[in-house]
Amino acid sequence: MKTKRIACLGLFIALAFVLSYVEFLLPLNIGIPGAKVGLANLVVMVALYTLGKKDAALLSFVRVVLVGLTFGNLAMLLYSLAGAILSFLAMLIAKRTKLFSITGVSVLGGVFHNVGQIIVAMLVLETGSLLYYLPFLIVIGTISGVVIGLLSGMITARVGRLFDIK
Amino acid sequence: MKRFKIISAVIILALIALILAVQYRGKSDVSVNNGSNKELSKYTINFLDVFDTSTDITGFATSKEEFDKEANLIKEKLTYYNNLYDIYNEYDGLSNIKTINDNAGVQPVKVSSDIIDMLEFGKDMYELTDGKVNIAMGSVLKIWHDYREAGLDSPETASVPALFDLQEAAKHCNINDLIIDKDKSTVYLQDANMSLDVGSIAKGYAVQRVLEYCKANGMNNILFSVGGNIAGLGARADGDNFKIAIQNPDLESSNPYIEKVEISDGQCVVSSGDYQRFYEVDGKRYCHIINPDTLFPAEGFAGVSVITDDSAKADALSTALFNMSIEEGQAFVEKLDGVEAMWVYHDGTKEYSKNFKDSVIE
Amino acid sequence: MKKNDFYLIIGILIATAIVVIFSNIITRKDTAGAVAVVTIDGSEYGRFPLDRDVTERIEHSDGAYNVLSIHDGICEITEASCRDQICVHHMSVQYNGQTIVCLPNKLVVTIENSNNDDIDGATH
Repeated sequence: MKTKRIACLGLFIALAFVLSYVEFLLPLNIGIPGAKVGLANLVVMVALYTLGKKDAALLSFVRVVLVGLTFGNLAMLLYSLAGAILSFLAMLIAKRTKLFSITGVSVLGGVFHNVGQIIVAMLVLETGSLLYYLPFLIVIGTISGVVIGLLSGMITARVGRLFDIK
Repeated sequence: MKRFKIISAVIILALIALILAVQYRGKSDVSVNNGSNKELSKYTINFLDVFDTSTDITGFATSKEEFDKEANLIKEKLTYYNNLYDIYNEYDGLSNIKTINDNAGVQPVKVSSDIIDMLEFGKDMYELTDGKVNIAMGSVLKIWHDYREAGLDSPETASVPALFDLQEAAKHCNINDLIIDKDKSTVYLQDANMSLDVGSIAKGYAVQRVLEYCKANGMNNILFSVGGNIAGLGARADGDNFKIAIQNPDLESSNPYIEKVEISDGQCVVSSGDYQRFYEVDGKRYCHIINPDTLFPAEGFAGVSVITDDSAKADALSTALFNMSIEEGQAFVEKLDGVEAMWVYHDGTKEYSKNFKDSVIE
Repeated sequence: MKKNDFYLIIGILIATAIVVIFSNIITRKDTAGAVAVVTIDGSEYGRFPLDRDVTERIEHSDGAYNVLSIHDGICEITEASCRDQICVHHMSVQYNGQTIVCLPNKLVVTIENSNNDDIDGATH
């Protein structure tokens, strides 16, 4: 099943890349730096629930680096990477506990993505004033987490079997 | 389950509204975003150590520490020029203007090129203003300075210097007796009774030099206000021009500012007025700007403000214009490129040079 | 969605709300409103809120004094021992960054945390 796995992973990365591009084209312009809906997280969620944690981690990492190098700069790459790592760890732990459905996991992912980004931004810019934006980002992360979670729940239920290589 | 969901949804929405409302209200309005996601805040420090006046440095920086670092460098530089151009105090191991004055008629004094350049600029300004700005007029200004100090100390016995004394002193104000030897880096006053008073140009000259120093060292978005001399480097953090208020010469007026102007990168505003430093004799005000022709304080205006792109020039020109009639002044400004002026009379009416109003806001 | 998901979301929001409310209460204490900060020769002498009317006689070590008066949200020097009286003649201040300076007494009054009047500097 190795070939299928690699093909699936490639497909997922391409999809995540496209969704990142869509998000790049339609930035959520509400005057808050780093605020994102996190459409690409949809793919990471689906991958986490179908391909497993190792592939999902790889997918998440490759996506961030690709998008960062293509559309952003080094600083942006750094922020996204921190957000992605923190968010992935949070989702992994949440999933392990089996306390939450896919929506709860997604909410944690969304919230921690923004928290990670802002922490790195604060360290890089050496300013605490960004802390002011954190509550907004948590709220946005929660809302987008719910939406992404519900969507990825539906997708996993309907097409998950196709990718299910386990 | 359905009820639980609805209640939860309501609670969630309420919490979101609460967070947004509380946090939005707490937003401070001093922070501005300069577009690169780097938060810049406005800082100001004030100090009283240089040029016998109050200095404000306003800057935009990401942190107080960063701003303080720059402000301290600026203060250091201003102090350096202050000591160099001081005519009243001596400093250990430093030859300044006072050293030159003390050696008038005795010997040439070896001084830093920063003094030579400033004095040469003073000579240029003498030429440009046809003698209305004369740094060699120390002997006359000293008399007025002493009378003013005495008058301020005991207002009851305040008096005006005798014209005869002033005329005697005025015999020792020839700018050509100021001998500058650039090769040897020396300055010599060949008339033993003469002295330099660089009050009309030194402050503006120092501000201009410090501004150039800041620019060379990559600083930006800084506004200097050294007494009446204001000079800006770059713009505000939001990209707008610096907005400068010109003080109303009528200090009792309920309207603190007589005009508001904006200055673009590198421009400066300098005001000279009879409200800045003066004393009174029998209810009549005698200000610190002395007209070289009459040897008495100029009385035509309450204040003159100049906008141009060189702080040193602006300082000299505002003094010169204060000493001219309005007709002379208008013609003089007309001749110069990139210089605009505003004259304020004692009754509060204003006159402008041709394009001054381009800078006025509101 | 499980019940736990709702608890999680509510939990996150409650935690955020608590932090936000507390941080606002704490920071409001020192940004409560405009203050006139008085410094003498560079060191801080005192902070006077503009919303509280007060008349303070500031004594200097050499017997000199300045009288600071705050009323109707504005701050001014009403009396001073200095000879030039420039600080007394100086206009009252109320906007962010405005200053009153008494050079002879090395006294500076600066307004902080007030509204901006959109002026970056003023000639003296």
